[in-house]
Amino acid sequence: MIASGAFRERLFGAWVEIRENLGRSVLQALGVLLGVASVLGGFSISDSQRKRSDELYVKLGGLDKLNVQPRAAIKDGQPTALQQANLGLRDADATGGEALKADAIQGVSRQRNARSRVVSAYADQDRQISGIGGDFIPANGYGIAQGRGFSNTEMETGAPVVVLGTEAANTFFPKGDALGQSIRIGDVPVTVIGTFEERVFRFRENQGNQFWWRNRIIAVPANLVQRRMNGDAYRRVDRVTFRIPDLNLMSGFADQLQNLLKSNHRLQDDFRLDDVAARVRKRRSQGDVYNIIFMLSGVLALVGGGIVNVNIQMASLKERVREVGVKMAIGASGREIFKGFMTEALLLTALGGFAGLVLGVGFSWIITSSIGIPLYMTPASFVWAYGLAGVFGFVFALYPAWKASRLSPMEALRYE
Amino acid sequence: MKPIIQTEALTKVYGANGTAVHALRGIDFTVSRGEFVALIGPSGSGKSTLMAILGCLDLPTAGTYTLDGHQVQGLAGGELARIRNEKVGFVFQSYNLLPKASIARNVELPMLYAGVGRKERRERAMALLEKVGIADKADKLPGTLSGGQRQRVAVARALANEPALLLADEPTGALDSKTGAEVLDLFRELHQQGNTLLLVTHDPSIAAQAQRRVEIRDGLIAVTEGVA
Repeated sequence: MIASGAFRERLFGAWVEIRENLGRSVLQALGVLLGVASVLGGFSISDSQRKRSDELYVKLGGLDKLNVQPRAAIKDGQPTALQQANLGLRDADATGGEALKADAIQGVSRQRNARSRVVSAYADQDRQISGIGGDFIPANGYGIAQGRGFSNTEMETGAPVVVLGTEAANTFFPKGDALGQSIRIGDVPVTVIGTFEERVFRFRENQGNQFWWRNRIIAVPANLVQRRMNGDAYRRVDRVTFRIPDLNLMSGFADQLQNLLKSNHRLQDDFRLDDVAARVRKRRSQGDVYNIIFMLSGVLALVGGGIVNVNIQMASLKERVREVGVKMAIGASGREIFKGFMTEALLLTALGGFAGLVLGVGFSWIITSSIGIPLYMTPASFVWAYGLAGVFGFVFALYPAWKASRLSPMEALRYE
Repeated sequence: MKPIIQTEALTKVYGANGTAVHALRGIDFTVSRGEFVALIGPSGSGKSTLMAILGCLDLPTAGTYTLDGHQVQGLAGGELARIRNEKVGFVFQSYNLLPKASIARNVELPMLYAGVGRKERRERAMALLEKVGIADKADKLPGTLSGGQRQRVAVARALANEPALLLADEPTGALDSKTGAEVLDLFRELHQQGNTLLLVTHDPSIAAQAQRRVEIRDGLIAVTEGVA
């Protein structure tokens, strides 16, 4: 584009004009600058925030999960005997659900919790016990730090073994020698076979660890809880999680599962489905609303700046009538004059827009670092901000340029 | 000699029916190649209007105008601009240089509109500035030059595209008599080199320098004196 001689000349002329009228040019560029900075800043701040919460979900074990939890089906009054007998999620629900889409489901995990007294040589506390089954450990973002996880046989038989979170390990074995030791959960003696990696997540840098409670986990096989701590005849579980990597299949699966569980539960709505990806999508679409608001405010800034620009240009055109007349007298056509004015306006937009990008980056950096999240900017934000400025710069330059091009050379020359 | 300017029954009417002003009422006027003609007349006589039409800044209401073989009446704005660019060189009373462009760039500008390449433009501009005797000021801005120097720049600019017609509108009007005389000397020199000159003035002593004087009064050619 720069290669074309005429364009380069116009660009040079425009640059001279801008440089010679610095005050006016700065004022004109200011509207563009603020608009671009506001669009880019807004987008980047909301992108940063979104990126951060996506990271949270990834750390929670991924988006590809569908959780099922029991829920009280009784809205009013006393439950009937039928309702009471049916309340709850059972092992059968997990296996039935898995059978629905066996090829798409990559893992099913069950959870059965208990509250119990936990005793070691160093501590004696009342604690939440997580009975886990299936691929609970990876699905919830846990990793083994020392020792090992549960074997299939241990899961099946409900072996008396335990894996501790860092906080639990430190509490019950402050000397760090938990592996191989024995603790008592209720009246069941269990052996520590592993410890989990520490879980840390701070949404903002200066915030506390939002995952601190995950380090308190005391995990045993779900079957152990069911058989020896907190079981019942229905083999109820507290949570079933299905993992489906192909998110497109998720909503179809959710519908099928809903129907299956409902018929399993004799039409009682005593369970609740929670599609993590759907939740994230919803939150994203809320984020889109913010983006639209930010874009709108940027657009308003650009429109305001554009109107100011038209005014400035119309006023400066009055000063430049004679110049236009001279140029026309020595052979510039109206088209040439039009192109000259447009080039000037677009160059100003380009420069102002560039300054706006720089300001927008600085602005986003200040905001995100003041709330303590890492700055995340996408190329799309830059394109949007600069593109909008370009469009508005172009549109608002049209009228003054057209006006200038329509001047009569003779009248323009005589203009005082 | 082949005529550079040839008009027949040229009229120009400003305004609508009721308030119409007849600035030109039928001008038959011819200028041959290589002539030096002065156009004189009091203000309001229509000489400025005639100059504007002859310079292709404006179009006649009726009549025909042929400039160096090109029919001018009825041309669209863009074509008119091209004719101005190629065929006419203007020198104005108030110089009309672009104040923010260097002297050299001022001279280059008509060539720029004609599509002459950057290098050739620069060379030709320097040659022209040499010719009018101010090549050393090429990179200065017009504001730093004296009136006489500025008018020389304007002459150089007018000559940039080797126009068929050099049109000077009161070129010495803003100058003192000494520099005015120098500028007139320059015009005479240009005439001797074969340029066709049309000089618009109200000053008889300046008009006396031309080969031929044409006086306009009330939109008509009143008197012609000198050799055609």
